[in-house]
Amino acid sequence: MWMGAGVDEADKLDRAAAQRVLRRTYQLLRPHRRRMAVAVLLAATFTLSTLAGPLLVRTGIDDGIKEGDRGVIDRVVVLYIVIALLSYVVYRFQVVAISRLGEDFLRELRLRSFAHLQRLSMPFYDREKAGVVVSRMTSDIDSLSELVQMGLLMFVSNALLLGISVVVLGLVSPQLLVLCCLALPPVIVASRKFQRDSNTAYLDVRDGIGATLSHLQEGISGVRVVQAFAREDVESDRFERRNRGLYDAHMRSVRISAWYLPVVDIAGTATTALVVGLGGWWVHQGDLTIGTVTFFVLTLSNLFEPIQQLSQLFNMVQSAGAGLKKVYGLLDTEVDVPERPGAVDLPAGADIVVDGVSFAYADGTRVLHDVDLTIAAGERLALVGPTGAGKSTLAKLVARFYDPTDGRVTIGGLDLRDVTHESLRRTLAVVPQEGFLFNGTIIDNIRLARPEASDDDVAAAMASIGVLDRFADLPDGLHTEVRERGSRFSAGEKQLVSLGRAALAAPDILVLDEATSSLDPGTEAVVEEAMERLAEGRTTIVIAHRLTTAARADRVAVVAGGRLVEVGRHDELVARDGHYAALFAAWAGSQPA
Amino acid sequence: MAAGVATGLCWSLSKVSIGLLLRQAVDEGIEADDTDALLRWTVAIAIVGVVAGVLTGLRRYLAFREARLVEKRLRDRLFAHVQRLHFSFHDQAQAGDLMSRGNTDLQHLQNFVVLIPLTIANLMTVIGVTVILVAIDPFLAVLALGALPLINVVAKRFGSRLFPSVMGIQRESAELAAVVEEAVAGVRVVKGFGAERTLEARLASEADDVYRESMDAARTRAAYLPALQLLPNVGLITVLGVGGHRVLDGTLSLGSLVAFNFYVILLIWPLRMLGMIIANGQRASAAAQRVAQVLSTDPVIVDAPHAVSLPSGNGALDFDAVEFAYGHDDADGRPVPVLHGFDLHVPGGTSVALVGATGCGKSTIGRLLPRFYDTDGGQIRIDGVAVETLRLGELRRAIGIVFEETFLFSDSIAANIAFADPDASMAEIERAARLAGAHEFIEQLEHGYDSVIGERGYSLSGGQRQRIAIARAVLADPRVLILDDATSSVDPTKEHEIRDALAEVMDGRTTIVIAHRPATIALADRVVLLDDGRVLAEGTHEELLVSSERYREVLAAADDDDDADADADDETLAGPAVGADEGVEV
Repeated sequence: MWMGAGVDEADKLDRAAAQRVLRRTYQLLRPHRRRMAVAVLLAATFTLSTLAGPLLVRTGIDDGIKEGDRGVIDRVVVLYIVIALLSYVVYRFQVVAISRLGEDFLRELRLRSFAHLQRLSMPFYDREKAGVVVSRMTSDIDSLSELVQMGLLMFVSNALLLGISVVVLGLVSPQLLVLCCLALPPVIVASRKFQRDSNTAYLDVRDGIGATLSHLQEGISGVRVVQAFAREDVESDRFERRNRGLYDAHMRSVRISAWYLPVVDIAGTATTALVVGLGGWWVHQGDLTIGTVTFFVLTLSNLFEPIQQLSQLFNMVQSAGAGLKKVYGLLDTEVDVPERPGAVDLPAGADIVVDGVSFAYADGTRVLHDVDLTIAAGERLALVGPTGAGKSTLAKLVARFYDPTDGRVTIGGLDLRDVTHESLRRTLAVVPQEGFLFNGTIIDNIRLARPEASDDDVAAAMASIGVLDRFADLPDGLHTEVRERGSRFSAGEKQLVSLGRAALAAPDILVLDEATSSLDPGTEAVVEEAMERLAEGRTTIVIAHRLTTAARADRVAVVAGGRLVEVGRHDELVARDGHYAALFAAWAGSQPA
Repeated sequence: MAAGVATGLCWSLSKVSIGLLLRQAVDEGIEADDTDALLRWTVAIAIVGVVAGVLTGLRRYLAFREARLVEKRLRDRLFAHVQRLHFSFHDQAQAGDLMSRGNTDLQHLQNFVVLIPLTIANLMTVIGVTVILVAIDPFLAVLALGALPLINVVAKRFGSRLFPSVMGIQRESAELAAVVEEAVAGVRVVKGFGAERTLEARLASEADDVYRESMDAARTRAAYLPALQLLPNVGLITVLGVGGHRVLDGTLSLGSLVAFNFYVILLIWPLRMLGMIIANGQRASAAAQRVAQVLSTDPVIVDAPHAVSLPSGNGALDFDAVEFAYGHDDADGRPVPVLHGFDLHVPGGTSVALVGATGCGKSTIGRLLPRFYDTDGGQIRIDGVAVETLRLGELRRAIGIVFEETFLFSDSIAANIAFADPDASMAEIERAARLAGAHEFIEQLEHGYDSVIGERGYSLSGGQRQRIAIARAVLADPRVLILDDATSSVDPTKEHEIRDALAEVMDGRTTIVIAHRPATIALADRVVLLDDGRVLAEGTHEELLVSSERYREVLAAADDDDDADADADDETLAGPAVGADEGVEV
């Protein structure tokens, strides 16, 4: 997590942003209004019960001790016991109620953000760095859970304690409350300064932690390079400087609380002295009872401690607010490839027509110009061309990973923008170049394409393209666990799983990005065979990197400089002495002797 | 530490005395109707209050300064030590595990160290208060304080109960993060097969796990926090009940009663913290052991007692009956030998290509020369001197190596290239980049040589990274250059450019080339075919093609991988690579 721990502008929260975050949070919490009310009611009850103790001491002193009435003392003690037990029970419920509310909110936020993340289309994933996207759902929501798990309870009870104490103290003795309030201005001024300074210091510390840990991480993973270049001393010195920066940030933060805490502490004791002194004088005058003075001495901490605790919580609240702001930002990101209202289902076994299609990325880079192409149902078409020519983009437009900037892609005469996502994904599957494995078993990985498929369905699908034996022979067979993104499987084996998925999905139309990564010779043949069987009887668009693949297709389409420059059969094109023939010659030349 | 403890003791003295002053103020001031005495004691409370307040800040500052300093120093030592630990240590250690020692373990230690001076002061407070209360009224003191030690017990149990839940939350959150990472990294698969629902279900189950663990923690809090709240009340109620009657009996002053109340409240926090330090102490001692484990591992590969300087020379290499095995054992528990009577002489200034099947030991040779590992037998000499007797730093600085797996630092490209010599001039850096065929693409980046690469910077393709690594090795102008499959990720259509550059670098420099592409092999003056940890044949590429069937086999096997490697720089359906090379493909 330390990688994402850096601090950026988005970590700072201004007033307007804070208000937006609050409004939005309130809206999300609205359905839980009743439970919120219960939680606050419990917290208020608990707060009142903590104030009841000192109030009973007051009664005990004034009406019991001072009046010499032993009965009052006994009654007060009994009442105190009852209230203490009651507050014990209320407190238990309060902790659970507030935590459950917070955890429910977090759970909902996680599910919502993930669901939205899943709906967002490829342009979003091109724009955003993967690490940043992941951090929305990890470190940003985690900064909230810190608040929910520890802060929320403290926040609610301290705010209530402060408010209720002021009211109760005022009811008992307005003049003593005025005395107490004399100390408040310096405490409030100090608290505001503390909040400001400590927030800066806190962000510095977070930044320092992020920098130090990623340096440490790099020192460990790059240790072989460091030793190879005999740079151990230089690197250790560099790390020491970085670590020193973190230490300095920590110390700045400690210094800030080291002057702030005494201010609150002194204000508290000074007020105690004032209450005892002036209050005692008022007792002499007969304006106050000694029980009231005692009550104030015992409850003064209820005024100053909450202010101090709330100030210290401020950082937590601040970073949680910043985290929420970023999560809401994600939820507000619009889907680039939306499903139109009233979208219809795609028909089966239809022709694909690319009709005057141009495409430019969001930054304005044009990658396709006015492409026209018809792919008949059941045909196998190979797309070839130099890197960056736009052949992958063309395939992505057919799969509706993007929408064309101009023109349209239709299947069976329906513009892809008018069809349902669900029917498109059922009709058309994309096998990416790199076989990507998720955690879980091989069977789970293949079932991804059709979650309701039985184990037998999966095995049958794999057998249909001749890849079953490869995995069934493993000690745990298809139930072999994929660990660390499948690091124990070769690139070819990952590709086979990927093809197995496609076989299980059994789509009408298949878009295949041919694997080009290192394949061991044994697997290579199995992969080719599997692709061959998979393409059987399907409309197939294959992005070909090998001459042999292009040669096997019904037709070859050559893309160069964002235009479709040649379409035809392999031998026709080789004979034509155009682009394809040139590519062929270059390819042959780059082959090792 | 001493200053912290002294401050803490003064703090506890002043805090404790406030209660006594309060008693005097009530008894001699308010109760005795003596306004002068009231004023006197009130002023005394205010003065002691100021002192106590200042000490509160000071003791906190001193405690944290000490603790953060301990944390910082240990992290510095850990880093420096890890940097010096031998390769075989790192082969076995897990990076994540080392990280957690340098991070969470040190934090546990810091949390504990900060509590030491605070705890001593707190202990003094508890003792001071107990002595005072017993002096005022022993019986009432026992009743008032009787329940308080339970706070300590409950706080300790709370800490140790909560800890597993907190770890559980962390564990489950990490699993949830793994699902999110997968969904983002594999987004093309998810979209390509319409698997959004499947992943949402998976996430929901992880989110439920996090929820369950969090509510477990909440229930633990719900069980203990109210108890911690209730216990002081037991003391307060006893004081009120028993103390009230005693005041009426005339055996206790009202001021003492108020002081009793004050002291019970004063003791709540010190007692809770005493409970905390016990739980923290257990965690800290486990953490300290884990840190010490690393620090007490001695680096195996160090300077010999009377290490000598590298004599001048042109880098002649001798491998004499070299034996070597990594730690991996075979089925019978014996280490599997990698090199087995390996003999080779490389005259200074000449180059040799090591060729062989995977696992034949060719990469190992490149690792033994700079003493990343020490041989198990035989001797390796550079310019006539055994490598074990040389000063390690000098030996390694004389050797430039390009690793099979490229590792670059999150820093500017210029700093990465100048890694061997941070003082290198820009002209030298550019020259090295040109030699490695990296200059052109670096110039095309927005910030040129100042472009920051790595986690938060540009992502380069495999071939581009490899060329920067070559530039890094070239910059030091090493006496011996080791290229361990250094062009494997470079597009074959680009490789000829680098080959020309490499030919220039290798000219007149002792070079070991570990390669499988014929074109790269051809760069070397001589080819050595390895098989089973020893030299099987040597000669020029052409000679071996004619004379050795094994050589032809090895090359043929390598061919199969080859056009696959070509596309490391390529555009994929995954989207354009940043600054990808213009490769040609059919």
